[in-house]
Amino acid sequence: MSESELAMGVGHEVVMEASPYGFDKKKLGMWMFIVSDACTFGAFLFGYGYMRVGNANWGTPFEFGSILNGIVMTIVLLSSSLTMLAAVRATQTNQRATANKYLWLTIGLGTVFAVLHLREWFAMFGEGWGLFSNPTGGPVQFGACFFSVTGLHLTHVISGVIALLIIMRGYNRGRYDSTHVETAGLYWHFVDLVWMFVFPMMYLMNAR
Amino acid sequence: MSSKQEIGMGSYVGIVIGLMVIVGIEVILTYQHLPVGTLLLALLCLASVEAFVGVMYLMHVKYESPLLFWTIFPATLFVLVLLNYVWPDAYRMARMSLGH
Repeated sequence: MSESELAMGVGHEVVMEASPYGFDKKKLGMWMFIVSDACTFGAFLFGYGYMRVGNANWGTPFEFGSILNGIVMTIVLLSSSLTMLAAVRATQTNQRATANKYLWLTIGLGTVFAVLHLREWFAMFGEGWGLFSNPTGGPVQFGACFFSVTGLHLTHVISGVIALLIIMRGYNRGRYDSTHVETAGLYWHFVDLVWMFVFPMMYLMNAR
Repeated sequence: MSSKQEIGMGSYVGIVIGLMVIVGIEVILTYQHLPVGTLLLALLCLASVEAFVGVMYLMHVKYESPLLFWTIFPATLFVLVLLNYVWPDAYRMARMSLGH
């Protein structure tokens, strides 16, 4: 055996130190991503919060219909967290059919959320709202803040739906196991919890 | 896999319903026409409670090693608190440039 083969551990069992967290590196990687993403959303929301409180002419563009739409979106997203939990449980107990059922439900609820969100957006575009336009004559920062923050969140939801489709396909083909589904679930719950800040800050703070 | 015994699906349903109730309280508070600063503070406090419950139960931090909690929470809070120092200054400078 050559020196390079010895150095690479060829023919020997590689000794790896156990993770101090007690779980695999996928999950730790996802947690690191979640922490950094939480800070990104935090920066957006802090910036918006200061502008909102500091601007007396901000205006309150959302009628109760928009708030009701936001409440339905919240219920849909929270329900999807529940179906995701059920899917993770099913994969951990090797109930493939049940896991598939709940994963499809989660993907469906995520899609419903995205459709409701886009419907709201297009209705606002129709009224003249835009990134740099305010049809009420108030500060243009409202559109910039609203579409940036909700757009960033919507991107996360759509990415999550795509990621769940890929993970489910891999799980059914035996390429991925329950830890992959659990890691995807962590991301999905995070997206759900971010909405718990986006909804009150972007919708309720601007309710008429 | 989590190291401690997790709660059943029924308890998770209860937690999610609890989160929906908090959202309901937020909506009710919104229509009390509180001053903007007070409303923002109230909504942020309620959203923080929701996030904490969600992270601990839905994201299973409660059932993982305590090391995970102590790795993510202080670091995230530290960054968010620091942001809170940066933004008021940015806001002050923006107003200065407008001649206020």
